[in-house]
Amino acid sequence: MSLLTLTGTRPLNRALPPWWLIATALVPIALIALPLVYVVTRAAEAGWDGIRDEIFRAYTYSLLTNTLVLAISVTLAASIIGVAVAWCVERTDLPGRQIWRVVASLPLAVPAFVSSFAWSSMGSQFQNMAGAILVLTLASYPLVYLPVAAALRGMDTGFEDVSRSLGRGPWHTFFFTILPQARPALGGGALLVLSHMLAEFGALSLLRVQTFTTAIFASYELRFDNVSAALQAGILLILALFAAYTEMRMRAGTRHSRVGRGAARQPSLATLGRATPAVMFGQIVLSLLALGVPLTALAYWLFIGNSAGHGLSEVWPAIWGSSTLSIAGALVTTLLALPLVLLATRFNGRLARFADRLPYIIHGLPGLVIALALVFFSIHYVPAVYQTVLLLIVAYAVLALPLAQTALRASIALVPPRLEEISRSLGRGPFKAFLSVTLPNIAPGIGAALALLALELMRELTATLMLAPTDVVTLATEVWSHTNDAEYAAAAPFAALLILVSAVPVYVFTRRTLEAYEIT
Amino acid sequence: MAHSSFGRRQFLLGSATLAGAAVLGASAPARLLAAQQQTLTLYNGQHKKTTAAVVRAFTNATGINVDIRNGHSSQLANQIIEEGERSPADVFYSEESPPVVALANRGLLARLQPQTLEQIPPRYRAKDDTWTGISARSRVVAYNTKMISPDELPASVLDFATEAWKGKVAYVPTSGAFQEQIIAINLLKGRAATLKWLSGLKAYGQQYNGNMSALRAVESGEIATALINDYYWYSLASEFGSENLSSAIFHQGNQDPGALITLSAAGVLKSAKNMAAAQKLLSFMVSAAGQQAVVDSVAEYPLRAGVESPYPLKPFDELDAPDITAADLGDGADALTLEREAGLA
Repeated sequence: MSLLTLTGTRPLNRALPPWWLIATALVPIALIALPLVYVVTRAAEAGWDGIRDEIFRAYTYSLLTNTLVLAISVTLAASIIGVAVAWCVERTDLPGRQIWRVVASLPLAVPAFVSSFAWSSMGSQFQNMAGAILVLTLASYPLVYLPVAAALRGMDTGFEDVSRSLGRGPWHTFFFTILPQARPALGGGALLVLSHMLAEFGALSLLRVQTFTTAIFASYELRFDNVSAALQAGILLILALFAAYTEMRMRAGTRHSRVGRGAARQPSLATLGRATPAVMFGQIVLSLLALGVPLTALAYWLFIGNSAGHGLSEVWPAIWGSSTLSIAGALVTTLLALPLVLLATRFNGRLARFADRLPYIIHGLPGLVIALALVFFSIHYVPAVYQTVLLLIVAYAVLALPLAQTALRASIALVPPRLEEISRSLGRGPFKAFLSVTLPNIAPGIGAALALLALELMRELTATLMLAPTDVVTLATEVWSHTNDAEYAAAAPFAALLILVSAVPVYVFTRRTLEAYEIT
Repeated sequence: MAHSSFGRRQFLLGSATLAGAAVLGASAPARLLAAQQQTLTLYNGQHKKTTAAVVRAFTNATGINVDIRNGHSSQLANQIIEEGERSPADVFYSEESPPVVALANRGLLARLQPQTLEQIPPRYRAKDDTWTGISARSRVVAYNTKMISPDELPASVLDFATEAWKGKVAYVPTSGAFQEQIIAINLLKGRAATLKWLSGLKAYGQQYNGNMSALRAVESGEIATALINDYYWYSLASEFGSENLSSAIFHQGNQDPGALITLSAAGVLKSAKNMAAAQKLLSFMVSAAGQQAVVDSVAEYPLRAGVESPYPLKPFDELDAPDITAADLGDGADALTLEREAGLA
C-alpha cells in the first residue's frame, strides 16, 4: 500500500466522549471563562447609558475603522505573501529553495515591536496606517507561510495529477485543487494573524496607530477605574468573535486525512523559466525588508549611545526568566489544549463544538485584559497564587490556547479515527488507544506546537509585567522598561538576545512543521 | 514501528517531566528568597535606573532589602486599587503625582512620619500627610534648532493650538504629564479655554504615543516642536552628547501653564506588611543621601534644600512656573473627561 487517502463525508463519532476527556477539557474551558466573566461584569458596571455612550462616540467609531482596516489589510497581505512564498519554495524550481525555505521563516524570530522600532526610527513616513500595515505584514507573513508550506508538502499530489489529467491548467489546478486542500492551513494561519492584529500593542504604539487595544491601554493608564477599558475590551471581543466565526466557516466541511507517512513520489515542480529572476528578486526584497531592516537598526543601537554596557549579572536573569517561563508555559498550554482538540476532532456534539471555539473568542484580547481578570479573581478568591509563577503560567495558557489548538489540530486531524478504532477493536480501552496510537502519531505536531508557543510566550509583555513575581524579569520586560526609559542602546542587547533565543523555537517549529509530513 | 512509537512516548514522558521541573525551577528562587529574609516590596513607576540607585543607597545604609516591581505609574496604581488591602506592595513610588493622589483618595495610603514630612516644603506634599513629592521637573517645549529659532516660539503653550502651528507641534495625549498640564490649564484659564486648547491640538498638532518618541521626532527633524518634560531631553543629551543634538529645550516661564512644575511622589500603603521599614524607606528618600541618589541618576530637581543636581538644569527659582501644586492637580480624573469631550480619548 503506497498511499491511501481518506477524505470527505464520513460522519464523526456520535458517541459521547469518555469522562476523562470531558473532565480534562473542562479545566481550560473554566480558565478561558475567567476573562470573559471579568470583561462582562466590569462592562456592566457602566450601566446601559454608559455602554450606549461609549459605543456611539465618534472616538469609538474611529477606533473601529482603524482596527478593522489594519486587521483586514494585514491579514490579506500576509496571506497573499505567505501563500506565494510557500508555493515558490515548495512547488517551483526556484534556485536555492532549501535556503529560501529557512530564510522565509526567520522573520518569526523578530518580535513585531522590535521591527516596528526599527522602521519608526527611520522616519515619520512609516508612522501611520500604511506603515503599520507594511511593518506588521512583514512581521506576520511567516505565520501563514509555514502552515501552508507544510500543507503543500504533505499534500497528496494525486489530486493534482487527476486535475491536470483532466486537462486543467496549472492556475486552475492551483485555485481549485491545491488551495482547497491548503484551506485549513491557510485559514488557521490567517486567523492567527488577524487575532495578533486585534491584540497588538507595542508595535502600534511605536507606529502611532490607534486601535481598540491601544485605547484599552490608554483608558487603563488615564483613569483609575477599569470600566471604560472593559467596555472597549467588550467591543474587541465581538470583533474577535467574528474572526473566529469566519475561520470556522472556512474550516467547516473539510476533512482530509491520510494513512501512511506519504508516498515516495515528489510533486512535479513548476518551471519558473523567464520568471526566475523576478521571483528571485522578490524573495531578496522580502528578506531585506523583513529581516535586514530590523537587524540593521538593532546593530546600530548596539554600537551607538552610552546607556549600554550590561554584564552577565543583568542579562542572565532575563534569559533565565524568558526561557523557563516560556518553556513551562508552552508545556502547560499544550497539555491543556490536547483534550480540547481531541474532543473537537473525534467527537460531535455541542460540548465538542463549544470546547473548540471558546478559546478563539478571547484570542483577540490583549494580555493586559487577561492579566486584569486574573489579578481580580486571584486576589479575591485564591490570594495564595497571586504574583506566583503559577498564575502567570495560567495567563500564558489562556493567551496561547488557541495557538496550541491550531497547531495540534492539523496533526490530530491527519490521524484517521479508524486507526484508533482498529486499536480498540483489538481490545484496548479508549485511553490506552489514545496513548498507544494517537499520541505517538501526533508527537511531531506537539513538537511544533511547543516551539510556536514558546516563541509566542517569550515575547509576551503585558501579562508578564502585571503577574510575574516581583523578582522575575524576562528579555521582553527588560527591552520594554529600557525603551520606556528612552535608553535604546541599553535595550538593544536584550532585544538582540530575544531574537537569538527566539531563533531556537523558530528553528524547531520550522523543521517540525515542514518535516511533519516528510517522507521517512 | 514499535520501536519508534516507544521513542515518542519516552519523548512525551520526558516533556511532561520537564514541564514540572520548569514550573518548579521558575518559582524556586522567589520562594527561597522570601524564606531567607523579610524584604520590602516597592511598586515603582519612576524611572527604573533612578529607583534602583535610591534603593541601592537605602539597602547599603540600613541593610533592608527591597524588591522592586517596575511598571507604568498609573498601571501600578490601578493594580494596587484592584489588589485592595491584600496588595503585596509596601511602598508606591510614582513618576507623576496623580496616581499617588488616586490611592490617597481611596484611603489606601498611611500617614507619613512627621520627621519625613518636615524635610520637604509643604507645597510639595499632601495636605493629609499621606504622600510626599520626591523630585520635580518642568514642562518645556522641545524644538529642532535647524527648523525654528527660540524667538519664534509663542509666549504661551495655549498658542500652539492654533492654525499657525499646523503640523508643527507634537503632543502626547496619553502621558501623565500632559494630563497634569490639562488640569493646570483648566485651573488657570477655565474649562472653555482648555477644551479649545485640546480641540486645537487635535486639529493642528501631531499625536505621539510617548514623550521620548515625540522628542526623537523633533531631534530627527520630523516635526518642529514637542510639548514634553525637560528630563527627556537631558536623557537624550546624555545618550548622544548634547553637542551632537539638533534639538534644544525652551522654558515657557511667565507663569504660563507651559512652564508647569510636576512632581514624582511616593507613599506608604496602609496595608503594608512591613510598616516600619516602609516608613524608613520614605524617610531615606527625602534625606540628603536619598535625594542626591535621585538627582544623580535623572535630570530632575531635588525637593530638599541643599541638594544639587549634577545636570546643567535651569535654576529652579528661575523657572517662573504657575502657582499650581501637585495637591491642586489631584488625581487627574478631570483631564480624561476633558480629553474625551475634545475627542482625544
